[in-house]
Amino acid sequence: MDKTTLKLLGGWLLFGVIMCLLPLVVSTGTLRILIFAHFLAIFAMSWDILSGRTGYISFGHPFLIGIAGYTTAILSFRYGVPIYFSIPAAVAATMVGGTLFFVPALRIRGTYFALVTLAFMEILYQMTKVVAPKVTGGTRGISGIETIVTGAVPNYYLTFAAMFVIGLLLWLLVRTRIGIALSAIQMDEEAVKSAGLNTTKLKLFAFMVSAAVAGIGGAFYVHYLGSIAPRGIFEINFLFTILIAALIGGAGTIVGPIIGAYFLTMLLEFLRPVLPGMERYFLYGIVALVVYVYQPNGIHSLLASARRHLSVGKS
Amino acid sequence: MAEPLLEVRDLHKSFGGLHALRGLTFNIAAGETLGLIGPNGAGKTTVFNLIMNELKPTAGEIRFEGKNIARLATHARVKRGIARTYQVPKPFGEMSVAENIRVCMATDDLWKLISGRPDEAAERDIGQSVGFTDQQIGVQPSELSMGDLRRLEMARNIAVRPKLLLLDEVFAGLTLGEIAQISELLVEKKQKEGLTYIIVSHDLRALAPLVDRVLVLSFGALIAEGSFEEVINDEGVREAYLGQ
Repeated sequence: MDKTTLKLLGGWLLFGVIMCLLPLVVSTGTLRILIFAHFLAIFAMSWDILSGRTGYISFGHPFLIGIAGYTTAILSFRYGVPIYFSIPAAVAATMVGGTLFFVPALRIRGTYFALVTLAFMEILYQMTKVVAPKVTGGTRGISGIETIVTGAVPNYYLTFAAMFVIGLLLWLLVRTRIGIALSAIQMDEEAVKSAGLNTTKLKLFAFMVSAAVAGIGGAFYVHYLGSIAPRGIFEINFLFTILIAALIGGAGTIVGPIIGAYFLTMLLEFLRPVLPGMERYFLYGIVALVVYVYQPNGIHSLLASARRHLSVGKS
Repeated sequence: MAEPLLEVRDLHKSFGGLHALRGLTFNIAAGETLGLIGPNGAGKTTVFNLIMNELKPTAGEIRFEGKNIARLATHARVKRGIARTYQVPKPFGEMSVAENIRVCMATDDLWKLISGRPDEAAERDIGQSVGFTDQQIGVQPSELSMGDLRRLEMARNIAVRPKLLLLDEVFAGLTLGEIAQISELLVEKKQKEGLTYIIVSHDLRALAPLVDRVLVLSFGALIAEGSFEEVINDEGVREAYLGQ
């Protein structure tokens, strides 16, 4: 492991320590907000490893999250499967879904790929409503699903641990040569083929990792909420929140989506007293736009340049 | 007689009603340098695209080291030892020179990609071997001149350890000094690493000292083949290529 990575690992450690101490100083209400930030960070990282890295923009991530959520919900609630079996099964099912998701990427990219993934989400949305509604719960969904732990503090630690471990592993992964190869696909896929690399294999890997992360996040999310409904999972605002968290934080960086998730969640909560309705999304859209126009590489890039300025100032 | 390194037999390529290549046949021996010339639209780059499987031939056969490579994808052909440059250099724009070379040195084994560390010394060696300074190896392509971008293309191609290198308009956009440097580099790499070249170029003056043999294409058909002097004095070539 190189020196820079070791140094940055110190940053991860510090972040972990601070977040572990947080329940000692903040209210349970804030912890519940942070729990949602952790889920959003997991989903945004899942999007980032696929779209932020390879440039295959997914508009259908709720499709993957939905597969995981419905699989574990149906298995545990309808068939009484213990959640330590239903959650891994949900992740496996999501990876199968990720393979389906991957098929169009063999032939198309850009806007066309994004639209096809959106269609995947819409198809699953409609299926959950009309196909076997007795199993999926139809439009009302399923409620009364078993939770993994109860209470704000245990859920905070559980979701933070999941987000932290996933984030750290993905961050380490993209710092290897596979990270650079995936970034190269985004820059010029034909040139990657000309470099002798099998882009199909690399893309499939990115899709599988993305699906696995979405699967873990989706399954935990449903067991945290204790319910699942198609309108909650497949709502367009949910999709945009994931995308904006990744973009505003800094796509392709893994750390950026975590920053973006905290920023967006806190922003939404701060806006709640002023704008209790859906107009909050309008305002946060504007904030996201301003940040994105001012710094297209996201908050992560702003922080990195601030750090560089500070270190130059010191020397 | 030794087996040719590359054999192209009766190669055809049509785009709808447009016949870009009409039954092209040629061989190239290991260590040889072949020039491929012709007016704009003659089909020169199409030949490279077909050899690399960036386009599918309408008919014909391409054999490399005696084996038909029709079923091999682009990356597999590169692994066999065929590499190419492009008319407009295609670097990975947001990566440094070293990282550009790193991508081309990467393996297809996912586990090795994850667990192995980049060979920075080898990246530097390749960069220096095409004339980059230590400082240039750390910069991004946007900071490089056209001549340096051509060097980067060479470095990336050397990193894949080719046997046959297809050079498309390798002198385009270069100053006379840069042309001399790139020519020198090509000669040096050929001598040191035994590379075989097919060079497409409109700059006949730069091409002349490098090639052993020249093929001339016009409207997708081979109209002349021979030494540089032979083809340049060919009546058909002068008519088709030089408009005389």
